[in-house]
Amino acid sequence: MSGEEEENAAELKIGDEFLKAKCLMNCEVSLILEHKYEQLQQMSEDPMNQVSQVFEKSLQYVKRFSRYKNPDAVRQVREILSRYQLAEFELCVLGNLCPETVEEAIAMVPSIKTKGRAHDDEAIEKMLNDLSMIKKFE
Amino acid sequence: MFLKVQMPWNVIIPAENLDAKGLMLQRSIIIRLLDDFAVKKATKDFGYYIAVTKLERIGEGKVRQHTGDVLFPVEFSGITFKIFRGEILEGVVHKVLKHGVFLRCGPVENIYLSCLKMPDYRYVPGENPYFWNDKMSKIGKDVVVRFIVIGTKWLEAEREFQALVSLEGDYLGPVSPPDII
Repeated sequence: MSGEEEENAAELKIGDEFLKAKCLMNCEVSLILEHKYEQLQQMSEDPMNQVSQVFEKSLQYVKRFSRYKNPDAVRQVREILSRYQLAEFELCVLGNLCPETVEEAIAMVPSIKTKGRAHDDEAIEKMLNDLSMIKKFE
Repeated sequence: MFLKVQMPWNVIIPAENLDAKGLMLQRSIIIRLLDDFAVKKATKDFGYYIAVTKLERIGEGKVRQHTGDVLFPVEFSGITFKIFRGEILEGVVHKVLKHGVFLRCGPVENIYLSCLKMPDYRYVPGENPYFWNDKMSKIGKDVVVRFIVIGTKWLEAEREFQALVSLEGDYLGPVSPPDII
């Protein structure tokens, strides 16, 4: 990170190392952590005692804030969003917050509308429709 | 935002835990790594350390002089959580004060929304105090709020992040329960 005052996720300025890093949606983290927790349950009678507080709080959070629960749906969300030339960070914000309108999507991820990127309102609308279809059929 | 990261780490295995059988050694390395990882809690660069997902590589061990312990350089994949300025997130209110509320989001507990950053909300005192505005929307304990991060701070001593957040912006504020399943 070049200087902390410059960090601004709304403009996708989050530092090169994070732009390249893979981000995960809440629903993806939920699948991974729940699986880990189940493994621990098989090995120990008191699994909550085996995990850190950070793990416990994160598990509670992602369980509550996952828009998609079904593993197939989770996979499809990433697949569909991947078709729209989004940065990892943008993809996950959209998957986490599930905006319902184009206006809301742009408010949540202002960077999708900046500097000659190919996202017109129509493309965004189509993306949101695709997402809501997954939700319906989940 | 949750991040999938690859990290290098140095795992030190005490001499008495060394075992000639390869599988036992690998087991000791993994157990040690998981322990160290949980104790570390968080770093300024990567954020909160949540889980190790895969051990990618165990390098060649080096014997440390004097103690006889062996240091293994390893590389693994894991999940971390870092909060970015400008990011929009959802969190849960856990404390209501006269001048603002504290929210919890993922592993972060100290997320402060000051009343100055929700200008249309007024404080309502009482046994269960809350904030509310003219549109009858209420911010009290256990309410889910969507906010924007306006500042973050790393506290080295506590190994913890603090964040200041705001409701100034479109589509921010309390989220109605049916929205969250």
